Amino acid sequence: MTADAGVQVTELGAEDHACLTFGESEELFDLTAAFVRDGLDAGLKVVWVSEAGPGLAAGELERRGVAAEAAMANGQMTAAGCEGRLLSGQEFRADAAVGWLAGELASSARQGFPGLRVALDMSWALRPVAGIEELPEFEQGIAAALEGSTAAVLCQYDRERFDPVTLASVAGFHTRAVAAATYYADALLRICRQYAPPGIRIAGELDFQAAEPLGLALAEAIRLGGDIVINMSALAFVDARCTLMIADAARTIASQSRSVTLRCLAEVATGFKRIGLADVDGIRLVGRR
Amino acid sequence: MTAEEERQQRAPSGGNVPAGFTPLDQPFDGGSLYALRSAVTAHAAAAGMGRHQVYDVTAVAHELAANAVQHGAGHGRLRLWADDKFLYCQVSDDGRGGSADGAGAPDGLAPWPVQHGHGLWLTGQIADHVGVGHGPDGTTATVRFLLSPE
Repeated sequence: MTADAGVQVTELGAEDHACLTFGESEELFDLTAAFVRDGLDAGLKVVWVSEAGPGLAAGELERRGVAAEAAMANGQMTAAGCEGRLLSGQEFRADAAVGWLAGELASSARQGFPGLRVALDMSWALRPVAGIEELPEFEQGIAAALEGSTAAVLCQYDRERFDPVTLASVAGFHTRAVAAATYYADALLRICRQYAPPGIRIAGELDFQAAEPLGLALAEAIRLGGDIVINMSALAFVDARCTLMIADAARTIASQSRSVTLRCLAEVATGFKRIGLADVDGIRLVGRR
Repeated sequence: MTAEEERQQRAPSGGNVPAGFTPLDQPFDGGSLYALRSAVTAHAAAAGMGRHQVYDVTAVAHELAANAVQHGAGHGRLRLWADDKFLYCQVSDDGRGGSADGAGAPDGLAPWPVQHGHGLWLTGQIADHVGVGHGPDGTTATVRFLLSPE
């Protein structure tokens, strides 16, 4: 099997064994939140295995508009660590981990769920864990377990920390390759789509020289439909031209009876207030100190 | 000329320079605007300005420099100096003269109705005083900010 490039996390379905690569925790939580949200909305059982404890995982999902705490309380969702699932006594055995997944598949069916979604944070494999050489065998086992099932698995790899050889060795066992849609990325600026809540995320420093990718991202935010969040929480600078472009897009969205939320630093928020954006119906300006 | 002599020569109203502040004199072009903003931020903070004012000064410095890049010679020089009351920022463009901001549409216009001229409007909103001069040697914009620590 070969991985399709450029698949959106919102397009995943049954039998998909997807390889998500992320560059920062914000991207990981955003994409995972979309995967979990869509699973919960479809009535599926959702399991998220990660280094983050259940409290942190639920908090990150709730912050992105996913009702994770209620789903965990009623048994539709589980957030848990790797120990006892992928690892046993900090040792990794591919057959045991695949066995755990098969157990989850059977358990969700017994509970009456029409399907299962499993997100696996693979950061544990960066530690000196015994048996790590069985990782490709594990990924192969997942692919076999998913055939003919109603389940989907999203394996999450940090592309900055995993070496290219390891990523290449596991990529072939996945049916899908997932990453955030990126309009622009270099050392100073990143403009990408945000999935949960829907919108775009801009981080770094933004000036007129990135007007073209910013325009594409804003145009897609308008086309997406529904309420939009323009997440600029990690945007340290935005110049006058780009401030106007973002404001114009926000006004366009608001004029369609949709709400648009602009999250940004207080200094950046002041720039939007100067041009009257705080007084527009449908536009919510959230400045953070 | 020593750094101290240079500082006194530039400071139009004389007076004491804020402790820890050193003047800035930095060339720029389209590829070095990030480095320019970073330097302005550091020097404005060293003049004793608070976080918001440092951001505003950096924004104004960027707009003036971006104007020289987009509508002037494509490069220029930024100078920053201070006395006991004000911080001064001067951007000079040694190329052809022209109206500051909005002299023409740059390449690759975004698909948004951007009002060219907003950069200078923003400068006027933030700075205490703005002066723009044109001459055979190019355009020079000098702006002044009241030092008001937060």
